Amino acid sequence: MSALILELVGGPLRAMRRATIWWCLGLAALIAATISIWPAFKGSSGLSQAIDQLPTGVVQAFGLADFGTPAGFLRANLYDFFVPLLLAAAAVLFVNGQTASEEASGRMELYLAQPISRRAVLIGRVIAALIALAVVTIVLLLAQLASDAAFDLQIDSGLLLSTLLLTGLLAAFHGSIAVAVAGIRGRPSLVLAIGLGAAFAGCIVASLFPLSSVLAPWRHISPWDWAFGGNPLEQATDLWRYAALAVPSVVLAAVGVFAVARRDISGA
Amino acid sequence: MADRDRRSSQAADPVVSIDGLVKHYGKVEAVRGIDLKVARGEVFGFLGPNGSGKSTTIRCLLGLLRPTAGRIGAFGLDATRDGVAMRRRLTYVPGELRLPDRLTAMELATSFGHLRGGFDPARRDQLAERLRLDLHRHLRDLSSGNRRKVALMLAFLFDAELIILDEPTNGLDPLMQREFLAMVHEARAGGTTVFLSSHSMSEVQRAADRVAILRAGKLVAQGTVAELRGRARQRVEVWFEDDPPTAQLKALPGMVDPVIDDHRFTATLSGSIQPLIGLLASHRVGSMLVEEPDLEEAFLDLYDGEPA
Repeated sequence: MSALILELVGGPLRAMRRATIWWCLGLAALIAATISIWPAFKGSSGLSQAIDQLPTGVVQAFGLADFGTPAGFLRANLYDFFVPLLLAAAAVLFVNGQTASEEASGRMELYLAQPISRRAVLIGRVIAALIALAVVTIVLLLAQLASDAAFDLQIDSGLLLSTLLLTGLLAAFHGSIAVAVAGIRGRPSLVLAIGLGAAFAGCIVASLFPLSSVLAPWRHISPWDWAFGGNPLEQATDLWRYAALAVPSVVLAAVGVFAVARRDISGA
Repeated sequence: MADRDRRSSQAADPVVSIDGLVKHYGKVEAVRGIDLKVARGEVFGFLGPNGSGKSTTIRCLLGLLRPTAGRIGAFGLDATRDGVAMRRRLTYVPGELRLPDRLTAMELATSFGHLRGGFDPARRDQLAERLRLDLHRHLRDLSSGNRRKVALMLAFLFDAELIILDEPTNGLDPLMQREFLAMVHEARAGGTTVFLSSHSMSEVQRAADRVAILRAGKLVAQGTVAELRGRARQRVEVWFEDDPPTAQLKALPGMVDPVIDDHRFTATLSGSIQPLIGLLASHRVGSMLVEEPDLEEAFLDLYDGEPA
C-alpha cells in the first residue's frame, strides 16, 4: 500500500523535478537581482520627492508609496505583482502538466487502466503539485532572506515569512482552480485559460478597483485582496486571511477530484 | 465438490460481458448497440476498420468511458461501478500508445509494479529478452516498434485473467509478430482470456478462436473463424472440355460476376458450392480451382454495402 501511495505521488514529482528546479532558479534570480538594487534606493529622499509629484492613483496602482522603505520597496518590486503572479502561474502549470495535459496527450490512459481509481490518481498528482509549489515557495523565502542579508535590506523575518506563506497559499488557490477545471473537463487550453485568467483578473481587481470610488468596495472579491489586503510586510496578518485562501483551495480541489470520476477520459 | 462446481460455473460464466452497449460522443454514435460474450480461456478477435467502434468499446470496458446505454464489464463486475476490482484482474495494451518519455522501460515496469503489486523482476527480464528489448534506454529514444514491445511486456508481466490488446502488433516486425502470437497461445494455454482487437485479418485468423466483426458501431458478424470463412465468397475457376452450360451457370444461386471465356468459366460464389458441383457433375470438366476463402474475404464481404 505504501509503495502504491509513494508511486502515486513520487511518479508525478519525478516528472516535475526539472520544472521545479527551473522555477526555483528563475524566481531566486529575480529576487536576488531586485534586492541587489536596494542600496541605491535606501532612504533616498530625492526618489520620495519624485514619487510625491506623481498622481495619487498612479502611486497607488503601482504600489509606489513608501518606495524608499524596505516594505515599500519589496511590495512595489516583488510582492504586489510579480512574485505572486509568477508563483500562481507555476501552480497552474504544475497542475495542468500533471492532469489535463497528460490526459490530452493520452499518457494518462495506461495509468488509468491499472487497478487504481481516478480519484486516487488525481489526488496523488495534486499532492505532488502542492509539494513542488511548497519547494519553490521555500526556496523563494531562502533567496529573499539571503538577499536581504547580502544587500542590507532590513525587514522583520516574521512578516516576510507571513508574506511568503500568503503568496504560496494564493498560488495554491489558483492551482486548485486548475484542479477543478481539469477534473471537470480535461482540456489543457481550458485549464490554462481559466487558471491563469483568474490570476490576472484577481490581480487587476485588487490593484485597480481601489482607484475608483464606485469599484473600490468590490476589490474584496479578489483573492489577492484576501492575501495582501492587510499589508503583511508591515503588519501581522489576521488568521482569517490564511483560511480565506486555504479553505476554498481545498473545496476547489475536492470539486476536481469528485468530478473526474464522473466523466469520460479523453484519448490520444 | 463445491470447489469443482465453482470452477465449472466459472468456466461457463463469460469473462467479458457486453449487453446493448451504446456510446455517443455528442451527436456521433460511436457504438450503436453491441451484445457479446467472451468465454474464459478463449482468444477473442475483435475486428473492424478504423472508426468502427473497437477502441471505444475497449475504453468502455476499462471504465475510461461511461456507456450512454447498456452494460459492459468483466468477471461479473460492472466496468463503471467496479472498475478498480475489475482492472486488478486484467492488463491492457492501448492502440494509441503514449508512454512517459522521461522513463526507461525498466523504470516504467517498476512503476507499474508499485501500482499493481505482484511484480517479478525475473519475469520482466525474461520478457525483455524474448522481445529483444533494451530495458535501459529512455522511452523517448525507442522506435514505435520497440515502444510497442514495452507495452506488450507490461501486459504479459503481471498475472492477469484477461489481457486486452488493441492493435497490439502495430509497428512490430514479422519476427516479433510471430513471437507475440506465441505469447498469446501460451497465455491461452495457461487459462488466460485474450481480447484481441485488430484490423489485421491474418493476425486474428492465426490467433483467435472466435471473432466478432464491427462496422459503424454495430456487430455485423460473430462466430468461429471457420464459420466466418464459410460465409465468405469463394473464387471459382472451371475449365470445361465440352461447351460450358452458360445459362445454367449464370442462374446458379449465389453466383456473382460470372464470366465465360471460350471453355473457361470464372465467378465469385457466395453461399454453398453444392449447386455448382451438382451442375458440373453432368459435364466434362478438365480442371477446377476453388480458392479457399480466408477471413479477409469474409471481412471485406461484410464491409461491402451501406452501413447497417
